[in-house]
Amino acid sequence: MRRVALYALLAVGAVVLDTTWLPRVSLGGATADVVLVLVMTIGFLHGPEVGALVGTGMGLLQDLVTGVPLGLGMLAGLCVGTGAGLVRGSIYLESLWLPAPAAWVLTVVHQVVWIGAAHLVGLLTAPVATLARVVVLGACYNGAVAVPVFHGLRRLDDRMAHHSTGARPA
Amino acid sequence: MIPSHLARRRLLVLVLACGVLGLAVLTEQVRAPDRRDVGWLGTAIEGALAPVVGIVARAGDLVGEGWALLHEIGTLRAENARLAAEVAQLKEENARLRPAAEEASRLRSLLALKQSEPFASVAARVIGRDPSHWFSSLLVDRGTRDGVRRNDPVVTSEGLVGRVIEVGGSWSRVLLIVDPRSAVSVVVVRSRETGVAEGLGRPLLRVTYLSRDASIQPGDLVETSGLGQIYPRGVPVGTVVGVSRPPGDLFQEAVVRPAVDLGHLDDVLILLRPSPGEPAR
Repeated sequence: MRRVALYALLAVGAVVLDTTWLPRVSLGGATADVVLVLVMTIGFLHGPEVGALVGTGMGLLQDLVTGVPLGLGMLAGLCVGTGAGLVRGSIYLESLWLPAPAAWVLTVVHQVVWIGAAHLVGLLTAPVATLARVVVLGACYNGAVAVPVFHGLRRLDDRMAHHSTGARPA
Repeated sequence: MIPSHLARRRLLVLVLACGVLGLAVLTEQVRAPDRRDVGWLGTAIEGALAPVVGIVARAGDLVGEGWALLHEIGTLRAENARLAAEVAQLKEENARLRPAAEEASRLRSLLALKQSEPFASVAARVIGRDPSHWFSSLLVDRGTRDGVRRNDPVVTSEGLVGRVIEVGGSWSRVLLIVDPRSAVSVVVVRSRETGVAEGLGRPLLRVTYLSRDASIQPGDLVETSGLGQIYPRGVPVGTVVGVSRPPGDLFQEAVVRPAVDLGHLDDVLILLRPSPGEPAR
């Protein structure tokens, strides 16, 4: 229960950060997406089912708060959460730098789904060069943000788990 | 322990359910007349988060101002020299333009008498932005308590910003004119040709439905036409930067750079439209 409350609080904090501070430090039109990194981390730590649910829920929250058409963030978050959960068994979570390339790949997946869905329903037409630039820069940006966020959250998650079982954290 | 094939099936059902839900919500949005209707639950969530967003935005402003101050100190000397040169140039320009300005002032006073748009207005502060590169909306700190209503136009002293698409008690969401969901009826000032300015999802607008024979050139000013019941007429929208006449097409199109720097808005003015039958506010 405490873990759910913590994640809810983190989700709200990430959405608020995404809409207030992070757009001020955009890089070539791309901004860091802490919500995406959070969904990725939860998918890695708790598997595809939790990843899918959290990704969809946080995507919906992001859609509501940022004013984009509802559903885009849901679909993209679903793919990121499920994708991260599905590969958790075949990656080494303790690696310091793993979150960077993982966030890079998942950001590309997120953007392809997001832009693809918007394009399919006729909401978005943009030159391919601009799309590629924003996707690649955003992926690099998220890769840099992912390392501290992932390890910080993983440590916090470990602590919560040990606290609830009464054992000492490793 | 759940067998792996059952776990896989459960995951598949979950992903399919979430995916179908997402697609359903998205297509429902697209079919809606103005492509954005979040319902009471969405409005409640946005209303709950708006104060938090406001506080964080203000904290961000403080940090930004501190950073700007440090940066300013570093560049002060070069800036000073540049400003001195600019002041000299402006003084000369000022002397040259004074007669023209006096004439413009007289004409503007005459025009003001003719303008009868009964708009009151309320100043609002930008407290949040849409972080995606492709859609453009702002969150401002005025809402129904200040008399703001859905579809109220939003402007700055430079020109048109957009319109209100969602309103809460103390917040509103403004759809910018560069958003792909936005369409504004406009007129090219020089040729009086009317068209529809649509957002392109980047800092440019595309004006469509311009008569193929109309004379439209880069540099032409574009303003609102007053048609469409949302925007008042005569608000500057932008400047034409390119014109295209696709072969075989009945119309020509113009690309317009907005008059307002929509990427760096801090304060805006919301025009409060009187409701039908209501006297001017």
